[in-house]
Amino acid sequence: MLNKLALSGIKHRIRDYSVLFSGLMIASAIFYMFMSLATNKSFLNSNSPAAATSFIFGFGIVLLAIITIVYVNYANTFLLSMRQKEYGMFMMLGAKSSKISRMIFVETFAIGAISTVIGAFIGVVATSFVSRWIINALDMQVKHFNSFYLPALLWTLVFFVIIFMFSAIRNSISLRRSKVLTLLNRDSQPVKIKRNGVLKSIQAFLGLILLAIGYFSMYYVGANPVFIYLGVPLALVTIVAGTYLTINSFVTAVILMLKRNTKYSQRGLNNFTLSQLSFRINDYTKILSMVSIMFALALGAITVGLGFNNQIDNVINGQNYYDVQVTNPDAAQQKRLKSLNSEKKDTYNYKTLGKKVYYRASEFKNQPLGYSSMNTQTMASKTQTTTEPAKNEGARYELMGTRLPDQRTMEAEFLSDSAYQALNAKETTTVLVKTNSFKNNLATIKSISKAEAKRYPALKTQASDKYEAYTLINGLFSGLEFMGFFLGIAFLAMLASCLMFKILSGANGDVKRYNMLYKIGTRQKVLRQTINKEIAVLFAVPAVLGVVHVLIGLQMFSKILYRPYANIEIPFIIFIVLYLGYYFLTRYLYKKIVLK
Amino acid sequence: MQKIVEVQNVEKIYGKAGEKQFKALSDVNFEVKPGEFVGIMGASGSGKTTLLNILSTLDTPTSGQVEIAGQDITKLNNNQMADFRANKIGFIFQDFNLLENLTAYENIALPLALQNKATKAIKPAVMSIAEKLGLTDILNHYPTELSGGQKQRVAAARALVHEPSIVFGDEPTGALDSKSARALLDTLTKINREDDVSILLVTHDPFSASFCDRILFIKDGEIGQELKKDDSSRSEYYQEILDSLGTFAE
Repeated sequence: MLNKLALSGIKHRIRDYSVLFSGLMIASAIFYMFMSLATNKSFLNSNSPAAATSFIFGFGIVLLAIITIVYVNYANTFLLSMRQKEYGMFMMLGAKSSKISRMIFVETFAIGAISTVIGAFIGVVATSFVSRWIINALDMQVKHFNSFYLPALLWTLVFFVIIFMFSAIRNSISLRRSKVLTLLNRDSQPVKIKRNGVLKSIQAFLGLILLAIGYFSMYYVGANPVFIYLGVPLALVTIVAGTYLTINSFVTAVILMLKRNTKYSQRGLNNFTLSQLSFRINDYTKILSMVSIMFALALGAITVGLGFNNQIDNVINGQNYYDVQVTNPDAAQQKRLKSLNSEKKDTYNYKTLGKKVYYRASEFKNQPLGYSSMNTQTMASKTQTTTEPAKNEGARYELMGTRLPDQRTMEAEFLSDSAYQALNAKETTTVLVKTNSFKNNLATIKSISKAEAKRYPALKTQASDKYEAYTLINGLFSGLEFMGFFLGIAFLAMLASCLMFKILSGANGDVKRYNMLYKIGTRQKVLRQTINKEIAVLFAVPAVLGVVHVLIGLQMFSKILYRPYANIEIPFIIFIVLYLGYYFLTRYLYKKIVLK
Repeated sequence: MQKIVEVQNVEKIYGKAGEKQFKALSDVNFEVKPGEFVGIMGASGSGKTTLLNILSTLDTPTSGQVEIAGQDITKLNNNQMADFRANKIGFIFQDFNLLENLTAYENIALPLALQNKATKAIKPAVMSIAEKLGLTDILNHYPTELSGGQKQRVAAARALVHEPSIVFGDEPTGALDSKSARALLDTLTKINREDDVSILLVTHDPFSASFCDRILFIKDGEIGQELKKDDSSRSEYYQEILDSLGTFAE
């Protein structure tokens, strides 16, 4: 009978439960998505040469696990807040508390199990969708990646079963411990008010100092990479603590200041919104700081991932000055060369004799040789030209790469016209073209490179043209970029749904307040506006802090990435759009619960 | 003389046509004159709350007319209803309905802020009503720091601060101890006498009702009987109410 009653209770609140279910499904879907990358060793090894990758992912798993636990915890509180009154009523009617705690155990566990299974399935679908999207959008080469990966699925199921087991036990114990009356009247339990100005100002001060230390250490790590093993943990600790204190005190102080400004606060529902916020901030400090750190990590991952993509051009330009190189072009290659948008086209002849190759010095006088170099300090590539390659090591190196593989180790000499003519040896012609844009001419460049490899089979394994450099680097960086994107989106989805849940779990307590405001004559539109404002602030506070963290945190990459701040608006826009989506969803669901 | 409230042939039926219907109010007619203190008494399920909800524009009648301060409130749209409640009506609820995250002062100021009154005008209005209700010392307290009686007086101040045409009380003493209940009723009476505020009280408590000038008894959705205080003392009136309740219930 009681089971039947409990079930009908669920049916009654199907909307609230659908929020709960979808949230939990999102959690397990994201967890699966992440695990499908993180547990796939062959993917990680083939896409990243760095040993750091498995460390990064290990770190990611721990972080995601912690967030998931926090998340399920919030979801659980939400569940309990919906159910306790009903269970209290059953107890009042004489149901034994052991029976009730068994019921809540079964309910929590069943909800967890169902949502995990469905969520994991959604995860498989979403993984294939997201990975295809990322790969297509960024023209990547990703190997060994499968959207369905059994170990990841098993990990997800085991992990969720364990945490739901714990929350089911916790729920049943907490229900058994609380008195019937507390359960029945939980809604009307007073909220404690804390007012301590001095402590708050000390906190604000301390918070800003800790943030400054964290920011400085990130900056310092960027300039002195050796410092990384001390600097990164130091930054992590100080920034987490600093964020917490700043949100707890600084934001409260701002709200208080606005409240004191009666011109602002005593207009419409401003005062109500401010009070809601200051009460919320007290309650939300932990989640808001967590969200802002997560926000920074996720946005940072995407930004750095895209940074690697921007890197591709820079690195390949540092490898080769010329986009294509053709040895003794035949008619077909000539035709292809013509279709390129050339910026500089140079033709050099050379003769090979014994262990040496001989160039005509005058050809370089007429067509200066282009060569590129890379500054390993700033990661910036530079292109130059020279008329005297004999005296220039960079130019000689560039020239070496333009020859066929078996002539590369030969020493080059630059002869006068007469000396060159006097040489009795076979002559080879090399045509080098620099186009106006490597990316725009990529298709033709690719066909020329493939044709060359066909004509000179040695090039198949020892190609040294720009296209070869491009495939190598694109493959390498795509993997890193893919991980960055995937990590970023998974984290974002998780943190935003965490925040959403926290806000929604408080919604039940707000129903009465909004109902009262409605009764004393507040227009629906005004009520909706105040809800929008309130939720916007709760989303904006961690976002603003997170953005600042990222902007400063990018300093850490100043030695690894060339211009880490270039094109930064792209990841930011992608991120903000997704985050805004969550804001609108939360706001919609919240209104559904609060406004009847 | 103009009437503050005029209710004509009001009927309220719950349930759609064709389904099982329930008539909560049938052919209700009455009026409240300016400065009157009127009580509506009835047992649970008699239709008191439905009537109050209709009077306060939270619900609409199935048929009939309700005029408050010369305005037909059954013909208002949602926004107009909200504005009407904000401007013309004061509410005192049984469970206070204060916002626990605002101080007493802020709670009282809320209706004025909602009307976007100038900041300069808000403070004197709040202070004057607070003084009248003896709340000056507790204005900076949060509701959780107040006793039930104090909370209800704050709620009363909030209902009165914007000088509404009429104050509706829905069992305002229901959650109070006898001393606080008495104090609140004395305050309401004083405000009614001195400031000419019209009050309509819904209650099933004869003691609360004995503070009214006139009582309408409602039973099964119909107004059955009316009892006027006229010149009788409060205790005599209380006895009369008990007597009528005894006969009315049969």
